Amino acid sequence: MITVKDLVFSYTEKPFIETMNFSVRDGEIFGFLGPSGAGKSTLQKLLTGLLPRYGGSVTVDGTEAKRAGKEFYQNIGVDFEFPSLYEKLTGRENLRFFASLYRRHRDIDALLKAIGLHMDADKKVSEYSKGMKSRLNFIKALLHSPKLLFLDEPTNGLDPSNARVMKDMILQEKAEGKTVILTTHNMYDATELCDHVSFIVDGAIAALDTPKALMTKKRAVQLTYTFESPDGGLEERSVPLTQTGGDATLRQLIGDGKLASIHSAEPTLNDVFVEITGRRLQ
Amino acid sequence: MRTKALILSDIRFQFRYGFYSLYAVFTLLYIGLLFVLPDAWRNDAAAIMIFTDPAAMGLFFMGAIVLFEKNERVLDSIAVSPVGAWEYVLSKLVSIGLISALVALLIGLGAGVIRAPLTFLVSVFLCSCLFSAMGLIVACKIKTLNQFIVATVPLELLTVVPAILWMFWWKADVLVLHPGVSMLMACSGRGAQPLALLSLLAWTALLYFLAVKTVKKMLLSVGGIKL
Ligand SMILES: Nc1ncnc2c1ncn2[C@@H]1O[C@H](COP(=O)(O)OP(=O)(O)O)[C@@H](O)[C@H]1O
Ligand SMILES: [Mg+2]
Repeated sequence: MITVKDLVFSYTEKPFIETMNFSVRDGEIFGFLGPSGAGKSTLQKLLTGLLPRYGGSVTVDGTEAKRAGKEFYQNIGVDFEFPSLYEKLTGRENLRFFASLYRRHRDIDALLKAIGLHMDADKKVSEYSKGMKSRLNFIKALLHSPKLLFLDEPTNGLDPSNARVMKDMILQEKAEGKTVILTTHNMYDATELCDHVSFIVDGAIAALDTPKALMTKKRAVQLTYTFESPDGGLEERSVPLTQTGGDATLRQLIGDGKLASIHSAEPTLNDVFVEITGRRLQ
Repeated sequence: MRTKALILSDIRFQFRYGFYSLYAVFTLLYIGLLFVLPDAWRNDAAAIMIFTDPAAMGLFFMGAIVLFEKNERVLDSIAVSPVGAWEYVLSKLVSIGLISALVALLIGLGAGVIRAPLTFLVSVFLCSCLFSAMGLIVACKIKTLNQFIVATVPLELLTVVPAILWMFWWKADVLVLHPGVSMLMACSGRGAQPLALLSLLAWTALLYFLAVKTVKKMLLSVGGIKL
């Protein structure tokens, strides 16, 4: 769906993105994970044709991004980092207007209901809270049922239950065969939603793999178990998952059925991020 | 279809922002004023009024209209939609042109100065589009309303002053080539008649294309790189 080859871009004279390469498959959720200022939004703008002055090639759905035309935009939906809405119009009027710009459109009421804004649909957007604007902005990107969705930090500033609803809707898009580019600095969202995650730092991709592979590749997964110690207290021990065979205590405890608890502690994506890039996500 | 949707939404927007109610008041004021003036002046006074206000409203308001869209970042969404620059410009010009034509018609009828209604309406509509295109070109390039005003006042003077000069003192026919003079000739029904409308049409077309070019640039600059 997307192929980026030897991409070079900067807002200024100073080099920023230099010879970046990656590709995104049809029907996957692909994440850009990185701290603020890493260049995630810049990448989204490059992919959606908003920054036409770049070097190398950025092919999106068969079109070179800098030459994106009307037909290209019929098929992509963009949720920007900031609300992009007419404040004086109501939520429903905004959706109606943007829907009218496209050939296809979905049922506006169904979308409002799905995101939980149906009760506020006839209020002016200027009366919306930040979270409500984010949600409206999100469904605005889905209006024309685009086959490629770009979401720039869509769950930012949402409470957990609204974030849950939005994430389920993103997964639903994927289930319908859509391709999603998800920008985030939230490692949990990236872990849960993405088929592939790229770590973005200072305009470069520091790593790119499935969340699972990223989390297991670097640091060995630890197995932690507890058992009753001779003095009557609870003792905890850890052993790398790959070396459980050499842990005599563990073998003994399993054999005797004396384990008090056992679990494997996988590193979070954040741990791996710090390990690979030397930066923190937030 | 999409162009129609754009125009309708611009009209609704202008309605929401009170353009219609504002001009309802102005219309009444202008008609009242025309009745205070001597009969002999009425035709020219009405033409000047229409030419300098309802027809020129695009030059006054385009800054606010586009700045709202810039500040609310709506332009970003328009830039990634199938809307073309030509449609965007057309919609802005037509929506304002309709208010101008409506207000001019009411003033004209109220003052009883309209002789050829169709020519009159076409003239006012074109005038309005020409002024709006100027306003739009400036609006694309500025960040604040103050900058817009500073940039449009000279434009307005360059357009209006020669026209007034032509009307009262300086009747050279060659002035029909001046956009402002062609507007006032067309709106007042005086001077080199079919030529005035033609000159006005040519200027409007030219400014329309320049506005499309400028809007195209603006839409490609929302990403943060000036072209
Ligand atoms: N319009 C712009 N002009 C100049 N520099 C910019 C512009 N937008 C972003 N930048 C810079 O580019 C870098 C990446 O920004 P951005 O892509 O917004 O990061 P992220 O989305 O990962 O937080 C930052 O250093 C930012 O200051
Ligand atoms: Mg960002």
